[in-house]
Amino acid sequence: MASPAPQLEPAHDGTPSRTPAPPRRASGAGRIAVGVLLAALLAVGVMHWLDVRRSASRSQGAEAEATIVVARAAADVAAKLGGEGEGIAPAMTAWAQSQPSVKAYRVINIDSRSLEASTFPADQQEGAPPRRLARPEKPLYDLGQTLRTNVETNAEEQTTGNPEFTVERQASGDVLVAAPFKVDGAVTGFAQILATPVAPKSTAPPLWRALAFIAAPFLVVLGLTFFVRNNTILFIAGLVLLLATIWLHATEKGASYGLATAAVLLFVFVGGGYAGRTSSALLEHRQAYWYIAPAIIGMLLLVFFPFFYGIILSFTRQNIYTANQPLTELWIGAKNYVDIITDVNIFRNTPAGRQINYGNFYWTLFFTILWTVANVAIGVAVGLVLALVLNTKNLRFKALYRVLLILPWAVPNYITALIWKGMFHQQFGVINQVIQIFGGDPISWFEKPATSFAAVVTTNGWLSFPFMMVVSLGALQSIPGDLYEAARVDGATRWQQFRSITLPSLKPALIPAIILSVVWTFNMFNIIYLVSAGEPAGSTEILITQAYKIAFEQYRYGYAAAYSTVIFAILLIYGIFQNRATRATESIA
Amino acid sequence: MKRAAGEVPHFPLHLLLLVFVVITTYPILWVFTIAFSGKQSLAIVNLPANPSVQDRLRAITPWPEEVSASNFVSVVQDQPFARWVLNSTIVAAATTVVGVFMACTAAYAFSRFRFPGRRAGLMSFLVSQMFPGTLTLIPLYIILVQWLGLGSSWIGLILIYACTAIPFCVWMLKGYFDTIPRELEESALMDGASSARIFYQIVLPLAKPAVAVTALFAFMTAWNEFILAATFMDKEEMYTAPVGLRFFVGGFSQQWGYFAAGSILVAIPVVILFMYLQKYLVSGLTAGAVKG
Repeated sequence: MASPAPQLEPAHDGTPSRTPAPPRRASGAGRIAVGVLLAALLAVGVMHWLDVRRSASRSQGAEAEATIVVARAAADVAAKLGGEGEGIAPAMTAWAQSQPSVKAYRVINIDSRSLEASTFPADQQEGAPPRRLARPEKPLYDLGQTLRTNVETNAEEQTTGNPEFTVERQASGDVLVAAPFKVDGAVTGFAQILATPVAPKSTAPPLWRALAFIAAPFLVVLGLTFFVRNNTILFIAGLVLLLATIWLHATEKGASYGLATAAVLLFVFVGGGYAGRTSSALLEHRQAYWYIAPAIIGMLLLVFFPFFYGIILSFTRQNIYTANQPLTELWIGAKNYVDIITDVNIFRNTPAGRQINYGNFYWTLFFTILWTVANVAIGVAVGLVLALVLNTKNLRFKALYRVLLILPWAVPNYITALIWKGMFHQQFGVINQVIQIFGGDPISWFEKPATSFAAVVTTNGWLSFPFMMVVSLGALQSIPGDLYEAARVDGATRWQQFRSITLPSLKPALIPAIILSVVWTFNMFNIIYLVSAGEPAGSTEILITQAYKIAFEQYRYGYAAAYSTVIFAILLIYGIFQNRATRATESIA
Repeated sequence: MKRAAGEVPHFPLHLLLLVFVVITTYPILWVFTIAFSGKQSLAIVNLPANPSVQDRLRAITPWPEEVSASNFVSVVQDQPFARWVLNSTIVAAATTVVGVFMACTAAYAFSRFRFPGRRAGLMSFLVSQMFPGTLTLIPLYIILVQWLGLGSSWIGLILIYACTAIPFCVWMLKGYFDTIPRELEESALMDGASSARIFYQIVLPLAKPAVAVTALFAFMTAWNEFILAATFMDKEEMYTAPVGLRFFVGGFSQQWGYFAAGSILVAIPVVILFMYLQKYLVSGLTAGAVKG
């Protein structure tokens, strides 16, 4: 047999195999040292990488800036000589000699449409400067016009919004910069230079610094192991050293909090011996883990990771425009939550008087609860009554009724929603036709919150009662008939029988069904989104549709994530509370 | 049939049931009426300027003015509906295969092995059912569309559907695996069968009915899903059937005839499937809920 015998029998009850190994000192100290090393490697490594990346992007900007200064100097040379004439070429030559970074330059006067001086090889084809611009050189003239317009507009509007120079990065790594010059207060031309970017001093921290910061706490802990005999003290010392290292190394505090947390977790995981225990458990039960691996990996990647990523997003101000920026730069702490929870402007004053502010979180929460309670109540009431009726002995066509009454549950709910939306149509919908038969006026269902609510509840009621009916019917059929017989013999009334036999027997089936149905209705996206779409003015939005609209219609991802986290918290509290309540009732019963 | 003494009269019960049958079937009859009307209007008949009560009664009678199958023909031939149904079929079928495979092995491990993290795993599957869709939707959108470039693709939707279907499938299948006696596997083990062989040749064949039911549920869920598909599939040719049907009557478009005909084509298979499966669903759901 190639593979080891699978453990079919529960070797031990689901808990990790804590073989209480005698605390071997050496390995404990070693673990702590390795833990410090790995945690420092993680935190310092990532911080160093971030620093290098940041300084790279910063130095790119600095390079361009330095070259712009050079281009301005070239423009100043031309301006001093009036921007045109024989004197320009020699002056530029002299200037260029003092500028080792300049590879080529040209000076163009757009008033006289002339090339005053140039060392660009391409410019020599049409003849040596100074000369008039040739037809293929139109783009140069246009560039001058653009610069002139920008300078003039900026002067008029007193802004600096329009660029007064152009920067083009060449494939060779050089930059091509054009700067305009003014003669007598008006832009008459520009100087353009091709220059090797002046590399500013690198601001990136050197690698040895990071390495030193990684090695230092490890070496100190290693040294301490010779003096400290107590692993707890060593552990605490390691933790303090680790935090001090991160603190000292951090150049920007923003990212370092998250990294410090991650590093501490890693340290505790490795140093506390959990890593060793985990790996031995993995090895011992590898067969079981192989079996659950596909499902767990899938769930981790596409359910749990998105969930935690969503929670992280909720602390940022990410939206569609900032989607490409790193989250650390968008970090705003709990502001989204504070905005949601403290938004108490439930009313607003309009010329028409005080009105409810339907976008408010508390209104939506109230509406969601109203919606859930109304639907579950309707579902349970109708479902229970129909189940009781269908459970009547010797009733004819029972099976046919049952099938016809389950139909709404079987129809996909988005189709149900769209059907009812059609039937609630103000002009052509059949519901308004029925109202008119009875002499009423057609109702514009989605123009008032009350009628809109009636419409969505009707739709959802239609599709949700069959579930309750089926559940109740199943429970009713499992009640032994003798119970009722015995009750009748004892002279119990019909109501007494219902109270003392039927209801208690229904409870074990109905309570889980109600719990499920509350969660379903609370999150019943399709009906609201497709039938009322929140009309009028978002008054019939439930929390989940509101969160969707914030995310995919207003594109405020961070805020929507916080909103969704609040929904999750509400459901979680409900779940815990519900669990307790059912356990309590079970223990009484 | 003579009633026993003390029994309620059946007539009012039939009356009540009939009222509800009318309520449950009317919207369905309405869809059939619009589908077979051969027109795109959502009114059953065109009312005159001053309609009488008879006219109005006619307007709510679910029978078209003239019966025509033209909506069915043109929704399939002239509209991209066939393509949408194809998308839905591929996505739902692949979801079923991937999801049920992952769920089968995981459910078997949860049912047969005792290992650290077992309880946590099962509980986390349950809790994940409580995650509001929109919370994971935004990160999923960022991950799949912006990072992986899988927007408007079958693969993206299949992966999401398969993974979100896992918890339900695992709970359903684990419940069934628990009922298969262990003695069978133990004797196979004695005979020297490997664990993989036991799983594929003994347990899975025994669990065939449960696997089939779970697969059908996974298929139906993927077939009927709307929000994720509406968010991820923004190219018209990649719509799934639900998104496409909404497209007919959403916004300013009012093609109710196409919608009705398409809905009937899409819904009939799942309605029949559902009628057959609902008894398993009820027992599975309530069992899971009781345990949770």
